[in-house]
Amino acid sequence: MSQATATRTLTFSQAIREALREEMERDERVFVWGEDVAVYGGIYGATAGLLEQFGPGRVIDTPISETMIVGAAVGAAITGLRPVAELQSSGYFGIAMDELYHKAARWRYMHGGVFTVPLVIRLPEGAKGAGPEHDVSPEALFLSASGAYVVIPSDPADALGLMKSAIRDDNPVLFFEHAGLYAYRGEVPGGDHLVPLGEAAVKREGSDVTVIAWSRMVGESLRAAEQLEGEGIDVEVVDPRGLRPLDLDTILESVAKTGRVVIAHEAPKTGGAGGEVAAIIAEEALEYLESPIIRVASADVPIPQSRYLQQFLIPTAASVTEAVRRLD
Amino acid sequence: MTAISPATLLELYESMVTMKLWDQTALRLLQEGRVLAGYHSGRGQEAIPAGGVAPLRRDDYLMYAHRGFGYTIAKGMSLAAMFGDLMANTAGATGGLGAGIPHFADPELGILGQGGTLGSCFGIATGAAFSAKYRGTDQVVVCFFGDGTANRGAFHESVNAAAAWKLPVVWICENNGYAVSVPVAESTAGRIVDRAAGYGMPGVRIDGMDVTEVYRATSEAVDRARAGEGPTLIEAMCHRFRGHYEGDPQVYRTEEETERLLALDPITNLEARLVADGIATDERLGELEVRVQDTIDRAVEEASSAPMPGPERLYEGLYV
Ligand SMILES: Cc1ncc(C[n+]2csc(CCOP(=O)(O)OP(=O)(O)O)c2C)c(N)n1
Ligand SMILES: [Mg+2]
Repeated sequence: MSQATATRTLTFSQAIREALREEMERDERVFVWGEDVAVYGGIYGATAGLLEQFGPGRVIDTPISETMIVGAAVGAAITGLRPVAELQSSGYFGIAMDELYHKAARWRYMHGGVFTVPLVIRLPEGAKGAGPEHDVSPEALFLSASGAYVVIPSDPADALGLMKSAIRDDNPVLFFEHAGLYAYRGEVPGGDHLVPLGEAAVKREGSDVTVIAWSRMVGESLRAAEQLEGEGIDVEVVDPRGLRPLDLDTILESVAKTGRVVIAHEAPKTGGAGGEVAAIIAEEALEYLESPIIRVASADVPIPQSRYLQQFLIPTAASVTEAVRRLD
Repeated sequence: MTAISPATLLELYESMVTMKLWDQTALRLLQEGRVLAGYHSGRGQEAIPAGGVAPLRRDDYLMYAHRGFGYTIAKGMSLAAMFGDLMANTAGATGGLGAGIPHFADPELGILGQGGTLGSCFGIATGAAFSAKYRGTDQVVVCFFGDGTANRGAFHESVNAAAAWKLPVVWICENNGYAVSVPVAESTAGRIVDRAAGYGMPGVRIDGMDVTEVYRATSEAVDRARAGEGPTLIEAMCHRFRGHYEGDPQVYRTEEETERLLALDPITNLEARLVADGIATDERLGELEVRVQDTIDRAVEEASSAPMPGPERLYEGLYV
């Protein structure tokens, strides 16, 4: 069984799995490991069925050892394999931070470029009612981890196409998947659907305001745009689909067109990547701005487990709508 | 116990002499202000990299430690490239990124590099061993680390996984009694070698000042690993003759202690044995030393002639 030829509807989670399956079929060096990825199929189902198809040699349950999961993936990557390692939650980044930040991202550079480190680390993120350590969106921590790509899909088609590209890329890729998106369905093109890394998508064209959003906030921003259309505000939604490589051209082109910018992400505002994107726009395109840049983000507090309280914290379409209305 | 052939003994001797003379030369360069980084001398511990690397094939993998440059010397790394990194010039293995804590790597020689974060070696060694098994080769990984490094959490995670998956790794702990200034007894519960039992793998504690013991124990462990029988932990007891780094005031030990150590020199001891057993004469060993020094001098000369990198070097090799 290989690639589907026609467009199909898949959940985000199925799209990840299809990407893994297609790339594992294509390239014997690709393997998957993490906690509960084999028999159980991953706690979000993103590796379901892979064990049956590829066997225990290529779909491997690891001990609860995040340091080893990432460190050994680096060891496998520099010796000829192409690991796709899953951390059960990106909230465990701290346990593997040295391995992510220094080993995966820098092993090639610090050894004079004699290696490539072709690996993908899958990092489920985002609010889901699991509490302050699990529900984080820590992508901005890796802004300074030069050497590693940071890729973040927002819908099933991108999840599939970006994951396939990430697996084929010779650079280490940190691949953030919002846990709240796994069940979300969308159309996915057939064939060998590849989305290039570092290419932003204009998810909706508009002329009045640019909303730069990623991960779950793309869908929220699209809903906001629909509502604002009724109020006569034409919103463009730009999804950078990751933080590195960052497609500045598409972002700046949109800013030049609209002159108004809202940046939306789920991570807390302070230390969130919105600050970096805003700084770049201020440096590169200040002359186009007709209004101050507004960031839509979580407040600077730990994320409570209570979904009830989360509703007051996690940004939604309404937060984007409200921000757009505040622009001059 | 199988006897080690005279030829192998001479090779081990030459390997250790190269390490010693390398160290002397590096210290001279350091004094001359030609080394742009700190240096952790491996003087006194040569038997471990010599005996621990010699049993490896060219395509076997090496994860080395910061204690001297013996490991990569033994694995056949270009001496000029190593000096180049000490001088931080473009002859260096990293092309000018520099070393003191070396980041030499050579995939052709199975040299997988070193992290500045102690314990980086553990996960990478497990991953390289997994990779060898996955690809169906019979390559083996040898991973060197100090007694202090053995207390990193990464040790447990990686050693456990390698043992659970019966991966071809040989873990060699160089127990020199100190992590910088902290004596091992103050920081470490139980004996490091005894941890092997907890992971269901063989563990041996050996005299790491005797290159023949290191060579034998490692050969056995490498054979087991290659045969698919899984990892082994070797704890090699040893002594570091100099400070943790050059300039270390060594307030944590007495001068008498360091003087007493000199009697345990693994190189002079093997030298005496080679002569006593009629394997070599003093004269022949003297000639060997002259030849090795000559090779080292030529490497220094080769490295010295290379230019320093320009600022563009900073941006090279970060991404593919
Ligand atoms: C994670 C980490 N902690 C601390 C250091 C600083 N450091 C460098 S060497 C060293 C001592 C290492 O002791 P040991 O492992 O016994 O090796 P030895 O120096 O004795 O050969 C320390 C604390 C480091 N490089 N990495
Ligand atoms: Mg020590």
